Amino acid sequence: MTAETPARPPRVRTKSRRQARTDLPQPPADAAIWSQGLTRQYGTRRSVDRINLHVPTGALSGFVGPNGAGKTTTLRMLLGLIRPTGGHGFVLGHPVGSPAGYLSRVGAMIEGPTFHPGLTGRANLLLLARLRRLGPERVAETLDTVGLTSRADDRFSLYSLGMKQRLGIAAALLPGPELLILDEPTNGLDPAGIREIRSLLKDLAGARMTVFVSSHLLSEVEQICDHLVMIRTGRLLFQGHVTDLLAAEDPRLVLTPEHAGDTERLAALLRDHGLRVDPPEPSTESVSVHAPEAVAANLNKIAMKAGITLRALTAYRPTLEETFLVATGGVDGDLIPRSRSSPDASVGFHSPRVPAQDIPGRVS
Amino acid sequence: MTPMFRAEWVKIGRPRFFFGTLAAIAAVAALGAVLTMLSVGHSDYDGVPVTATALAAADGVMQGLEAVSILLGVMALAVTAAVIGSDFTHGTLRNQLIAYPHRLRLLAGKCLALAAFVAVMVTAAMAVAAAMSFAIAPATGVSTAAWHSSAGLVEIGKGYLNVLMASLGYATIGVLAGVVFRSPAAAVSVGLAYALPLEMLVSRIWSPAATWLPARLMDTFAAGAHGYHITYAAAGGRILLFCAAAVVVAAGLFRHRDITS
Repeated sequence: MTAETPARPPRVRTKSRRQARTDLPQPPADAAIWSQGLTRQYGTRRSVDRINLHVPTGALSGFVGPNGAGKTTTLRMLLGLIRPTGGHGFVLGHPVGSPAGYLSRVGAMIEGPTFHPGLTGRANLLLLARLRRLGPERVAETLDTVGLTSRADDRFSLYSLGMKQRLGIAAALLPGPELLILDEPTNGLDPAGIREIRSLLKDLAGARMTVFVSSHLLSEVEQICDHLVMIRTGRLLFQGHVTDLLAAEDPRLVLTPEHAGDTERLAALLRDHGLRVDPPEPSTESVSVHAPEAVAANLNKIAMKAGITLRALTAYRPTLEETFLVATGGVDGDLIPRSRSSPDASVGFHSPRVPAQDIPGRVS
Repeated sequence: MTPMFRAEWVKIGRPRFFFGTLAAIAAVAALGAVLTMLSVGHSDYDGVPVTATALAAADGVMQGLEAVSILLGVMALAVTAAVIGSDFTHGTLRNQLIAYPHRLRLLAGKCLALAAFVAVMVTAAMAVAAAMSFAIAPATGVSTAAWHSSAGLVEIGKGYLNVLMASLGYATIGVLAGVVFRSPAAAVSVGLAYALPLEMLVSRIWSPAATWLPARLMDTFAAGAHGYHITYAAAGGRILLFCAAAVVVAAGLFRHRDITS
């Protein structure tokens, strides 16, 4: 009997809540949002997979990833709406497990503007203002900021999509937040509405507010953001300043000789001058050179000296998303619109790969 | 608690909802009072003869309200289940939790506001039922002399509190259904299906169940437990027990569940 009795496992003393709290990592002082191994698992699927975020205070940061990448789940964890299943997250220096410590200084719109359809825009904001112990004058101010004062007393159900988005942003602005988190704020807006939102976000970031704005299109955020966080399938692909990514970009000049027969000769000539030239494509009759726009005049002179007349000389600067996606080898339909990801759209040259390790901030 | 209460009242107090519910409650109360007074000389639902003498007793003025107490309870259940459930389906709860992340206090404020709303509705129902009873009683040969007496006023007070407590009990079921199902349609339909046909069926098949099923107990309590197989105090105690359990479950779910809607 004694031989079969299994030994009782040694009793492991679990950490008290206070001890666990003191074991938390400390976020850097300059981080508005910071996480270490932040994870959210649903069954066997990891919606967010060990993400290490660092969004600096005062940044206008874009949070980019295709639909289903885990952006909204991450934002929900940062706002204390869902619990992480692993890792640590901090917002304005407070752990995401204690949202009461920071949410009074955070404004957010998650998954579109959601309000009570039977209440007016003003009443919807008043409800939230009362929860934040703010008065009706603050409601009037934010309605004015987003340009909704004239329609404030209409029912929410009667608002256009653009007006609903603006009301969502107004709700996020109510507390005069230090950190503004917006989830796809331009979804469904017309070009004029998109421009309005962009301009509003720039103004807000200019007022020393940290803005963290998500989008499934990099082209959408690259125009306004100075900092980027990119995720795909729950994993972090890149985070850092836009300038870091721009440093890896690969500008090109496309030269088209007047006579198609000169294409090969022009390519050889440019190679002789030490330039990196892509093999000419017979179909385009053009030569693609890896060089910035500044050297365009010199290339024209070189061609002329060799007796080659150019029919066209086009500078091509890849967008941020092309730079990134070419570098990382992934072309995702959500991140980059099909029309732009097509090789045909890039005036007939094949983009050579920039080594991924050359991009600062890229997470392997 | 005041900010959460006042915030919830923005939603509850919107004219269409507030006055719409008030009108429905008033209509139900008036119907109960009129039918009760007109039933003199006939038998009630349980086959007991209704006499002018019985209705002229001090508690006669509240008979009309007590007759429709189940409907008032059902409305309280439906309203609370719909209000709590719609916060989930509309996605407005996440906005509220971002604005005020103390979940239990937020829920408490909502419940307090809904309880106040139910109290206003029951008060209005009592006023309408009493006024209609006083207006119709002379026409049906029912004396109102005892109703004016101090004993009559005490009975009005007791009847009002009984119906109010029973309605708040129904409202507690509504809160639980709203938090569990997170959808107004599911919460209202399941809540009503449980409180009405299911409990009625069970208690008809096995009558002792009526002394333990929450909705049956609330009906018993609303009628002051007169003519029931359970005492007033026992019914009240069991209702408190059920309500406490419902509050604990609702609060636990509200506190710990992820907000994904």
